[in-house]
Amino acid sequence: MQFFGGSEISPSPPAPTASGNNGHMMYVFNRNGVCLLYREWNRPLRTLDAQQDHKLMFGLLFSLKSLTAKMDPTSAVEKGNLGMPQLPGQGCSFHSFRTNTYKLSFMESPSGIKIILVTHPRTGDLRESLKYIYNLYVEYVVKNPLYTPGSPIRCELFNTTLDQYVRGIA
Amino acid sequence: MAAIYTLYIIRKSGGLIYYYGSAGRMDTNDSLRVASLWHSMHANAISQQLSPVSGCLGIELLQADTFDLHCFQSLTGAKFFVVCESGAQHMENLLKFVYELYTDYVLKNPFYHMEMPIHCELFDINLTQAVEKDRVAFWADEIHIQLLSHFYSD
Repeated sequence: MQFFGGSEISPSPPAPTASGNNGHMMYVFNRNGVCLLYREWNRPLRTLDAQQDHKLMFGLLFSLKSLTAKMDPTSAVEKGNLGMPQLPGQGCSFHSFRTNTYKLSFMESPSGIKIILVTHPRTGDLRESLKYIYNLYVEYVVKNPLYTPGSPIRCELFNTTLDQYVRGIA
Repeated sequence: MAAIYTLYIIRKSGGLIYYYGSAGRMDTNDSLRVASLWHSMHANAISQQLSPVSGCLGIELLQADTFDLHCFQSLTGAKFFVVCESGAQHMENLLKFVYELYTDYVLKNPFYHMEMPIHCELFDINLTQAVEKDRVAFWADEIHIQLLSHFYSD
């Protein structure tokens, strides 16, 4: 688990990995599993209603994290039972998975904020981009005096900056 | 070295039927649980419902902090997945080769009951060889590169 340096936005955003408009959607969850933000850019297929979809996504991340924590072949210490609750940064986590139709990149901050970006399967490593999005979140949402922590994000400025940035990277 | 830690084969209902790897790391119950957890996330249930476009066939590659998990699903629903070092190459080929071994040494074995745990000695031997060969091939490449650089530096 890496902790992020100062809160200022890094001067130059990470270089784009591919050009085009390949971003599908993005989720931000807090540590209680509340969906703070859901942005959608290109999603032709919808199987569930929004609330169920968010719950399923959070559940998938939770299960995948407990799977990777249990499977971690490099640590010899006793890892406890499968699905044991873990704090952010504890145990082996994952940063992305890929299917034939999409790629999901995942980042968890030390405070338990989870950022999920779903893009085209051929996009490259998005870890730096997710960190940059986390910085945007800190700058535009956390530092907004009108924002109550734990409530859904309704900041126009954050949304526009985010849209612009995701259009640039994916 | 492209280290392969473990290799699992799960049948189409999600049960573990073969496990290859250092036995000390995870006990039998845990490997069964992990296998069925992977099945439920990969198969029709979750990863496909979240897909933004139709035609999703499940997770192919999971990149964790300390390892990569490559998964291959056969047309009949058996899933093969390998846990290897991060950034290991050619794992899709290895999985397809394991599938070939499975069809040859397991499915064509008249004493094998479908969907039951695999206890075929020949399959064990060939699988171990394939995994070891993978490493040897990699080493051979390394040595070759070293020799070449030696040759050119002279």
